[in-house]
Formats: sequence, C-alpha cells, structure tokens
Amino acid sequence: MNGQGLIKGLAITLKHFFQKEITEQYPDVMPELAPRFRGCLRFEFEKCIACGICVNSCPNDVLSFETEKRDKSKKKKLLSYTIDFQYCMFCNLCVEGCPTSCLSFDHDFELSQFKREDIKMIYLRPEGLDEAQDSPADQEEQKDKEQKQIAAMLKALQKSPQKVLSKLLEGEEDINILSELIQSDQKTAGKIAELIVKDKEKAVKVATGFINKDRKNRAQKGENGEGGDKDV
Amino acid sequence: MEPLFINLAEAFTGWMISLGLDPGWAEAVLLVVKWIIVVTIITVNIIILIWLERKVSAFFQERLGPNRLGPFGIFQTIADAIKLLTKEDIVPSAADKLIFKTAPMFFIVVAVMLYTVIPMGKGMQVINLNVGLLFFISVGSLSTIALLMAGWGSNNKWSLMGAVRSVAQMVSYAIPLAFSLLGVVMITGSLNLQDIVLAQDKWWFVILQPIAFITYFIAATAELNRGPFDMPEAEQELTGGAYTEYTGMRWALFFLAEYTNLVAVSALMATVFLGGWQGPWLPSWLWIIIKTYAIILVFFWVKWTFPRIRMDHLMSFSWKVLVPVSLGNILLTGAGIYFCRWMGWC
Repeated sequence: MNGQGLIKGLAITLKHFFQKEITEQYPDVMPELAPRFRGCLRFEFEKCIACGICVNSCPNDVLSFETEKRDKSKKKKLLSYTIDFQYCMFCNLCVEGCPTSCLSFDHDFELSQFKREDIKMIYLRPEGLDEAQDSPADQEEQKDKEQKQIAAMLKALQKSPQKVLSKLLEGEEDINILSELIQSDQKTAGKIAELIVKDKEKAVKVATGFINKDRKNRAQKGENGEGGDKDV
Repeated sequence: MEPLFINLAEAFTGWMISLGLDPGWAEAVLLVVKWIIVVTIITVNIIILIWLERKVSAFFQERLGPNRLGPFGIFQTIADAIKLLTKEDIVPSAADKLIFKTAPMFFIVVAVMLYTVIPMGKGMQVINLNVGLLFFISVGSLSTIALLMAGWGSNNKWSLMGAVRSVAQMVSYAIPLAFSLLGVVMITGSLNLQDIVLAQDKWWFVILQPIAFITYFIAATAELNRGPFDMPEAEQELTGGAYTEYTGMRWALFFLAEYTNLVAVSALMATVFLGGWQGPWLPSWLWIIIKTYAIILVFFWVKWTFPRIRMDHLMSFSWKVLVPVSLGNILLTGAGIYFCRWMGWC
C-alpha cells in the first residue's frame, strides 16, 4: 500500500527520539578510549639501547636521537631522543619494532600547541642516569665480563701469586706472606682476586690487612713458646 | 482560571470607561492591547519554538541540541536573536530596494493577521468574524506574495528561483487546503471558528473527517514551506531560496513569520479538527495551547523524518492526489450528510 514507507520512516525516527544520545560532551566528559588507542608517543629513556630500529622503521622521519661512544666498551650512550610529533601518522611501526619496548602510545590526545616548535618532544639524558643505572641487559653483560675477569685473575693468583701480587704490593716480605696465604686459603684468594678486578685501591688495603693479621698471628705463636727460633 | 483573560479584558475596559473614555473608544483601545498581547505572545513563543525545534531535531538524530546557555540551552535562541538584531543590515545594490525592504514586513504582518480569528479559548478571540475560516485561508495564501516580492526584489537568480517555486507550490496547495476544510464547513454549516469548535463537543472532526485531516495536514506542510516540502528554501540547492540576500533582522523577520505561520496553522488544525479549546478539567486557553503544541511536534517529527520531495513530484502530488482526494472527501461528506438527514439522525 502507498504510504507504508512513510509510516515506517516515522516509526524509525520516533524510536531514535527515545534512544540515548550518542554525543560525547568532550571537554566536560572525557571520552572512553579503547585500550590500544594511539594518543601521544611516549619514550622511556632508561630502557633505550640506542639500536636505531625505531628511526629506521619510521616512514616519516619523526624519530631521531644522538649518541656518544662509551669510554670502555663499544656500546653507544644515548644523549637525547627527539620525537618530531607533527609528522607522526600513528602507524605504530616504531612501537612494534622497539626491542626493549621503550616506545609506547598513551591515551593523551590533546596534543595541540601554540607554536610549531613546541610540537617537537625532546628527551634529554636524565641527570641521575650514570653507568651503574644503564640498561639491565647492559648491566648483566657487564657482570658476566667481570665474573670472567675474576675467574681469570684467581687462576693467575693461584698459579703464580708472586708475579701478580708484585703489581699490587711493594714489600717482598708482604708478597711472600700473602702468596702463602692465598695458596693455603681458597677464600682469601677469591676475595683478593675479585677486589683486584673491581677496585685496586681497596684490594691493596685488604691485602695489607690480611698481611698484618697474619703477622700478628705469627707473633702470637712466637710468644706462646715456639717463636724463639724465628727470632734467632 | 477559566475566565481569567476575559475578566481581565472586562476589567480593563471598565477601567478605561471609569477614566471617562467613550465605550466605543474603550473597545478600540482594548483591541490595540489585544494586538500587542498577540504580537508579544508570538515573539516569545517563537523563542521557545525555535529552541524546541532544535532540541527535538537533535533528539531525532540522537544529538543533544543546544545545551550551553541556561538550563537545557533555553537561552540559545535569545542569544541568536541578539546576534541577528545587531548584525549589519545589507541591501544589495542591484536590489529593488522598496520591494526588498517591504517583503519581510509584509510577510510578518500577514502571519500575525492570522491570529485575529483563532479562538484562543471560550469567547477569547481578537475579532469574532463570521467568515473566520475564509479569512484564515485567504490571508494565509497572501504570504506567497511576500515570498515573491522577496525573490524578485533581491535580483538574484537563486532568490527568484525559490520565489517562483514557492508561488507554484503555494498556489497548488492552497486548493486542497481549502477543499479539505470544506467538509468541516459543510457539517457545521458555519465559517465561524467558534461555531466550529462548539460543533465538536461530542465528536472531534478528526474522527468525522479523517481524510480531510490528513489532506489538510499535508497541504498545510506545503503551505508552510516546511520539510519535506521545503523546496522554496532548499538550502542545499537554492542557498536559502527567496531569503538568500537577506541578513540580520530582515532575515529574522522571515524566520519569525515562518514560525508564526506554523503556530497559526497548527492552532487552526487544533480548532477545526481537534475540538479547539474544548477539553475537560483544564481551562480552555490551556487546552488550545496543548493541542497546538502537539500538532507542532508532529510537524517537527515529519520534517526531521522525510527527505525533501522533488519539485515535479511535489506538483503532481498536489494536482493528481491531493486535489482529487479532497474533492472526493467533499462528495463523501455531502452524501453522508444527506444520508443522515434521510435516516433522521441529524
């Protein structure tokens, strides 16, 4: 029948009339964002290993960073990280590529700025971030290396204590006493080897401590009656 | 509550006579006061109506509508009115200045004239004309001239196109409009709107004349230039039709007149088909307001549901459907009346 469609249309609009509004009153009420919503790109300085995968994966040259060669190792040291956000197209390639997941999109979408320069986000190296606080992967490697060095040192100490200790101590008598100690006591040897690798000054102090203690022990032994022959 | 306004009017005339005024002059002053009241009500009512239309259309589209100014955004229209009043009044240099300037005034005057005959309550009318319905139809058709003046005076092809369309549309739809009311007149035997209201104390004419009600509703929508028959305005294709060149208050007058017409036509529909001011419990002047607003809401509903009809379809619908249907309704009504008389029911 003619006019059926008209009534159907009126019914549809009437149904919508009583439905809930879908308007988002944005500045008053913040919208509910999906968990994987791509808002502002955030960078965590501590996690970055300066591998450059993000820079290579970015299609719009948004990302860039500055590095410096570290003193001892071949590793790079991150100095600053720049996100020129005006060119970002939120493709997520950098986030996917990052091996340490130091890049992530958060839910902040209010990114407008008054000046074009302000859009650029520059992350500088934090003050407290020294070698000890380097990336965890880095730290582990460092530890591994140290362990190896200590093991090598221990081996050398046990094989020819005089030679190694002559670099540490000066008095020939002291060296002899200590080398005797090292050969007789595994524990002392381990400790001294570790200290030599880690901190030479401390090693010297500890070594002299050991020597003095040993001397005292010997002197005590002498006092108890057997020391006569040594005095002679 | 019922005779509130009548008592007020009587008290006013009594006060005028007590001041030493001739009773005839007192009546004349009362008429002026009535006019002022009508115009004030219209203007205030428009503010509510525009807000209501924006709000209702928003709800139909699952939006919120104006909600910033005041509670539920009710002051939005007032802010808009202030903006329109303070806008620069631009008259195009190539325009026919006299016609351009008089068109909006003519339009609003014609719209306000419609209110003279509508019974706003029991015995409440500006003038109780015995040809009230005829007056309403003839004056209502005059707004065509205002639109034609606006279109011609603007000296703009879009304006003229819109004006030509509106004239064609209004002339075609005035015929089924008048014909659909004729059935009611035949039953009542009077063109006086108060008589028509009183004739509906048992049965509303919407029950006795359902076809007439529907044809009148459709024809009235076209007469009002409202959607889906808003071809003369047609923002998307005619950039506002006859109103294209109008700015500020002149444009606002057109806007005002359109809504004034809407209220007037709705009030007439309530009067003729829905029993006018008759109703239980509430005072009569409240009943007519309630009924008028109910019809206005239906107008809004229709406007925000249907897409705009094509011009040729519009014309063919009027001449090929509405005119024959309303003529058939007259025939049916006449036959029905004779049948009733023959059976001795009336």
